[in-house]
Amino acid sequence: MEWSIAESTRYSVKLSDSEGTLNLAGLTADGQEKTHGEISIARDAQANRLLVEIDGSAHIAHVAKVGDDWWIHLDGRIHMVTGHEPGSSSDSSGEGGLTAPMPGTILEVHVKEGQRVREGQTLLVMEAMKMEHRIQAPKAGEVVALNFSEGERVDMGATLVELGD
Amino acid sequence: MTELPFDAVLVANRGEIAVRVLTAAREAGLRGVAVFSDADAKALHVELADEAIHLPGQTLAETYLNTDAIIAAAQSSGAQAIHPGYGFLSERADFASAVKQAGLIWIGPPPEAISTMGDKISARLKMMESGVPVIPGEELSVPDGADHLGQLAACAARVGYPLLLKASAGGGGKGMRAVSEPKMLRTEYEAASREASAAFGDGTIYVERLLVGARHIEVQVLADSHGNCIHLNERDCSLQRRHQKVIEEAPSPVVNAELREAMGAAAVMAAKAVDYEGAGTVEFLLSDRGDFFFLEMNTRLQVEHPVTEMITGVDLVLKQFEVAAGMTLGLTQSDIGITGHSMEARIYAEDPSKGFLPAIGDLAMWRAPAGPGIRVDTGVREGDSVTVDFDPMLAKLVVHAPTRTAAARRLYNALSDLRALGVITNIGFLRQMTIHPDFVSGSITTDYLDSTDISEFAEPEHDPSTLVAIAAAASRFGLDRVGVAGGDGTLVDEHTGHAGDPFRTLSRSFP
Repeated sequence: MEWSIAESTRYSVKLSDSEGTLNLAGLTADGQEKTHGEISIARDAQANRLLVEIDGSAHIAHVAKVGDDWWIHLDGRIHMVTGHEPGSSSDSSGEGGLTAPMPGTILEVHVKEGQRVREGQTLLVMEAMKMEHRIQAPKAGEVVALNFSEGERVDMGATLVELGD
Repeated sequence: MTELPFDAVLVANRGEIAVRVLTAAREAGLRGVAVFSDADAKALHVELADEAIHLPGQTLAETYLNTDAIIAAAQSSGAQAIHPGYGFLSERADFASAVKQAGLIWIGPPPEAISTMGDKISARLKMMESGVPVIPGEELSVPDGADHLGQLAACAARVGYPLLLKASAGGGGKGMRAVSEPKMLRTEYEAASREASAAFGDGTIYVERLLVGARHIEVQVLADSHGNCIHLNERDCSLQRRHQKVIEEAPSPVVNAELREAMGAAAVMAAKAVDYEGAGTVEFLLSDRGDFFFLEMNTRLQVEHPVTEMITGVDLVLKQFEVAAGMTLGLTQSDIGITGHSMEARIYAEDPSKGFLPAIGDLAMWRAPAGPGIRVDTGVREGDSVTVDFDPMLAKLVVHAPTRTAAARRLYNALSDLRALGVITNIGFLRQMTIHPDFVSGSITTDYLDSTDISEFAEPEHDPSTLVAIAAAASRFGLDRVGVAGGDGTLVDEHTGHAGDPFRTLSRSFP
């Protein structure tokens, strides 16, 4: 299993088992060996709670799995770590496709197919949950396809705009 | 407590406020009747009620806004009184009248007070008449097809820049736009008018001077039907994002005893001007020069009412029941003091790193903090789904401590102990907010968040190796195959170890 946290770096880990406690025995990031601290993890009596020792100090982590994501609560912070089958493609959001973050209605379309856009430029304005949201270009590129027009309803995850390089 | 003339109350709402009111009803010895739509069939408020009545239909108009069906539900269930909560029908004068005409008790102010205060223009006139200070501004009603630009520009020039465009019919930040200079006027007007039409069916816009560097201070009032009216101090709700409150506190760090008395007196004057009854809130803007101006009156219970309850020890929902029953307040102004400091953080399913976009998902884990001075008002529990059907507010995390500094620290710790997994929330943003020097020093004004780079409140990252190791270990232990609620699906209370306590998330601890 490979893992990612928010960005596209792929991690893989080696764990060694010593009487039910798992110790971090190796870490790679995008295939490169990384140094790491001393981390050991043991199960707690309560399901979904782990006892984590980081460089000698004890922490408690709460975990829950939803889909491919492990949600982790550690030291007051909540994180998401996504599991990937080894060798699967790295970018789950597709090739520059911009998807609707929520179901809603397209209010304004600011670009045309074939137009070049800069990073951060507003491409569309959509209305979802009674508020207006701007859909902005995550990178500079060319609008390859524009799949909706003003007034159309879109489902969550629908590809709104496809951006090429 | 004296016997109330009704023994059952229907709560015409959902989510945390329905839970709050149903709990108060139970504490007052009343039977609580809930209503619910299809999407809420398994919701916490339904589970908590003594009786729950299904409202068929898909849209809000068919369900929580369906006045006829709700009144019929009260009659069929034997509830003699209706509590509207906040939002939905709470500020609909026609509903209040219909409830009364049906021979039921309306737990809220008189319909006339709702309509006078519900319309920004009539409210403003009433306040000017009564000597309550108001902000410079005027309404702009443009008939369809007329040239709005000329009128708009002239009106804006009279009011003065910077200005605020807001839906005359509205609230909750919808249809509201700030304009700092004339060249932005047209675009913002069109957006505001469009949002106003969509949200309230009325595109009429109110143009108002925007006070920069002002604070949002609101005063809680309570009035009975015998002419008694008192205030319960102020709440400071200056920390807002696009006019949606983020953290509220009481008392305000900038209001001294003298100003409190003046604002309290103005709030009581406002309430008396409309013969108010029950719990209400008079909102003011406090300028950086110490002048205050009437903003609006919310003729209902507020989301942030708990902070007032914490510092005064008065249960506002119970008082609403008593006033609706025709009882006297049983409190005079001199009975109202301030004990310690209280703060409330609104926990939303939203992603601060993506412009606070509402988030959806399943609450695979929802464990609320508990302890002295911590109160959690929520309508969700572990295993619930967060959908697009309703407002994404999951809970209100309220703390009470002897001082403001202690309250802020308690809030930070309580936020850190709130384990909400499976749905992206604003918890991390709120945590960073509570320790930010600007918040700690109490110098937040209403324009703060909209003029601050949100990435300032991003949380420091954990070392990736730790997180990845935990995920890998959790998989190796097979924790993904174990239900969060324990192998057999029963909820185990983390603090007591007892299984199956559905009321744990409701625990309210008053220090």
